Amino acid sequence: MSIYYYLAAFLFCLGLLGTIFKKDLISMLLCLELMMGGVALLFILFSKSTGFLDAQLMVIFTMIISACEVAIGLSLIIALYRKKQTIYTDDIKIITE
Amino acid sequence: MAADIFLTILTVVFALMVVFSKKTVVSAFALLMTLLSLAMIFFQLGTVFLSAVQVLINAGAIAILFVFVMMLINLEQFPNNREKSKVKLVISTFTMLVVLGVFALVINNNIETLSVVNLTDNSMKALFDKLFNAYFLPFEMATVLLLAAIVACIVITTHEKHENEEELQILKTEEKL
Repeated sequence: MSIYYYLAAFLFCLGLLGTIFKKDLISMLLCLELMMGGVALLFILFSKSTGFLDAQLMVIFTMIISACEVAIGLSLIIALYRKKQTIYTDDIKIITE
Repeated sequence: MAADIFLTILTVVFALMVVFSKKTVVSAFALLMTLLSLAMIFFQLGTVFLSAVQVLINAGAIAILFVFVMMLINLEQFPNNREKSKVKLVISTFTMLVVLGVFALVINNNIETLSVVNLTDNSMKALFDKLFNAYFLPFEMATVLLLAAIVACIVITTHEKHENEEELQILKTEEKL
């Protein structure tokens, strides 16, 4: 079971790398979802090692929040694509314009 | 133990595909497979309900939603030859290694206590007993959050359409004149 701790840490860090490194917004959201997967795995492992059921409930709340995040993120991407015809972070300079 | 290692390797390979594949559609497919292998890990750890929820919600709904949005946006029109900034790659790799190092240090120091498996009542009855008693208020707040997300999605995606319609109507009236 202990190998799963390293897997969860690796998934979180890989998602972090992708979120910084990727250029289009959809890939960044995909990497955020990867991070959420790592967090959910870590919660379940903590629930197993401590014996508390609360950590498993946290996984349910994590899934709810990640569903909201993805839905709003994707709708923002679609709205941005309609307005600017791009999904790349280089082309978006709304604040500095 | 063999199943642990097999599932870990499977998840790592698909997770690497998510980050390093050139095509976004392949990334989405790899994310789907990552979430499915995570569901297998949840199943193996004994949390059957969460495994089912992972398959239904994360793999079944969210990953498919990504594919739908990709179909709406038509990614093929974007050229795939954007210059890759070396600085960004170095910074992100450094950040990843630092965070991974901290994680590994913490896990290595506590691996004895973390590897102990405490037998608890893993049944769905115990889980939902807790959810609907101790965690009732957070649960209701989560439902409100989901409702707010639905409303926000509708407002964000339909706002632009109305403006376009108004512009179209103005254009039509100008043409008539």
